[in-house]
Amino acid sequence: MSDMTELVEPVETGHQMRDEIRSISERSRARRQVRSRIMVVLCALALLVTAVPLVLLLFQLFNRGLPVVLHIGFYTQLPQTPSLIAPNATGGVSNAILGTLVLTLYASVMAIPVGVLVGVYLAESDSKLAATLRVISQTMAGAPSILMGLFAFSFIVRDLHVGFSAIAGSFALAVLMLPVIVISSEIAVRGVPHTLREAGLALGAKPHKVSMKIVLPAAVTGIVTGIILAISRAIGETAPVLLVIGGGYINSWKPLDPVSALPLSIYENAKSEWPSLRTEVWGIALVLVVFVFVLSLSARIWASRKQQAR
Amino acid sequence: MSIVIPPPPDFTTHEAGGAEFNSATPTRTWYHYVLILASIVFAAVSVGFIGTILWNALPDFEHHTGTLLGGNGWQSPAGPFGGLAMIVGTLETSVVALVIAVVIGLGTSISIVFLLPRRFRNVVATLVELLAAVPSVVYGLWGFLVLAPWMLKTVIPWLNSWPFAKELFGNPGQQDGQSLLLASIVLAVMILPTFVAISREVISVVPNDLIEASLSLGATRWQMIREVVLPTAKIGLFGATFLALARATGETVAVALVAGGVANVQYHLLYPGTSIASWIATEFGEAQGNEIAALMALGVLLMLVNFGLSLISRGLVSRQRKVLAVV
Repeated sequence: MSDMTELVEPVETGHQMRDEIRSISERSRARRQVRSRIMVVLCALALLVTAVPLVLLLFQLFNRGLPVVLHIGFYTQLPQTPSLIAPNATGGVSNAILGTLVLTLYASVMAIPVGVLVGVYLAESDSKLAATLRVISQTMAGAPSILMGLFAFSFIVRDLHVGFSAIAGSFALAVLMLPVIVISSEIAVRGVPHTLREAGLALGAKPHKVSMKIVLPAAVTGIVTGIILAISRAIGETAPVLLVIGGGYINSWKPLDPVSALPLSIYENAKSEWPSLRTEVWGIALVLVVFVFVLSLSARIWASRKQQAR
Repeated sequence: MSIVIPPPPDFTTHEAGGAEFNSATPTRTWYHYVLILASIVFAAVSVGFIGTILWNALPDFEHHTGTLLGGNGWQSPAGPFGGLAMIVGTLETSVVALVIAVVIGLGTSISIVFLLPRRFRNVVATLVELLAAVPSVVYGLWGFLVLAPWMLKTVIPWLNSWPFAKELFGNPGQQDGQSLLLASIVLAVMILPTFVAISREVISVVPNDLIEASLSLGATRWQMIREVVLPTAKIGLFGATFLALARATGETVAVALVAGGVANVQYHLLYPGTSIASWIATEFGEAQGNEIAALMALGVLLMLVNFGLSLISRGLVSRQRKVLAVV
């Protein structure tokens, strides 16, 4: 700038114009920067607003839930209905814990084989059937879970005359898990490098041998991660099981017995008028959240470790 | 609805896996038939799922479509079963929740990607995804036992101190704090992690070249975000929004716990109301005959809305992938 002023004889009007331009540009830059700062602060504020309720939720969950879950009876006793004589006799939730495990087990047995096989088929085929199934699985993956309850009720409970039972609940959960397993298995199998498969074929292995002995083992990390995520989603679902499992008050693993489940007893205890049940409900919620967190964290950690190993 | 579904793979760049399964090649083995069989089972279950609900809803659609879509009031067990209150309630709660969640969630995703120090980013992202996995009944429980008393003691008196608030939100007086507004807030808190998880991913894959180019031209940080990042990520962000909306409309037990469960068309958000999904959940236990058909018909409505939303959102997200592939 200083060179320019020496070379060109400064004219008064030019001076003014230059100063004016400079001041305008400086003002606009200041304005832009102020606006940028404001918006950045607003964004940071949004992060805070997001964090506060979620942190509060987790804090209250642990704060109110921990005293409940420290009693052994919480895990081993059956629930009792408090009475005026014994307002604090809530018993435990052994039936709900067992029920959740049983429901998840049966649902997994139904959903995992079919889901993985369909995922493999989708990854290895580009037929019309595969294209249709892809759309179906992606649509089903987001379907409201209450609809699975309606399906299981009309089909299993009523039309097949099975009645309110563990098997009806696990059928609903299996329908819920299926599309998740299908999608994640397809992604996992597609992620296996082509060269691996081609090497197998070039060595003269039959296509199904290549698929089972080479591609599936290479994709197993992704498949298992998807399965765990599907299970952790199914464990927490209330709506489908609410309609069909019958809320049994006994410890039972039999498929045809009515059972209870952790999310169901949260829902029912929360609505109860007894303060003691409303205290106990935080413990049930804590157990459920710990279940879900352990499942999804282990899936994540395992997946990332396998990825690093490769 | 508690896990973020992994995004669908990009089928345009990958070639479909094994050529051996194309119909042209003759080597079909038992393995192939097992796969086909499983696929047919899956297709049958899906078709059965949709068909069963439609079939059971048919009696209601035959006689009472007008009542279902336009009637107010739900007289159990004889009817009429009007669905207007649930439809309006679902609309109100999910739209209010969506507005809250999108505004706050967008800011959150931007600050996770551009403001947080690099080493915190992954931790926060994992945390957000964990929170998206928390079962919805736990959010409902928290809203019911913690937020409802707080609304009653703090929020409602505060809201009523504003001019025109009573006309806008209504003045419920002394109730138990359950209301459509509370349902919207709980829904917003619930869909926030889902929305942030997806929108963070969409924003973080905006190419660095674009960002650096805009910064080198003298753009401020906000100009870079507004003029470059958000337009590039626009389609994916819309996709995330529709997915969050689909989740909000389908949410059942959380709304059942906090909305109050009153089947009246209610435009004042501080009064109790209900939604389609939560109404099905709370009424199904005692329903008989015609009422079951009416609830199934509500289910069909919910299914149509949800499938529409998720088709739109998946289309948008996959189009975003193509946009970024071009950039």
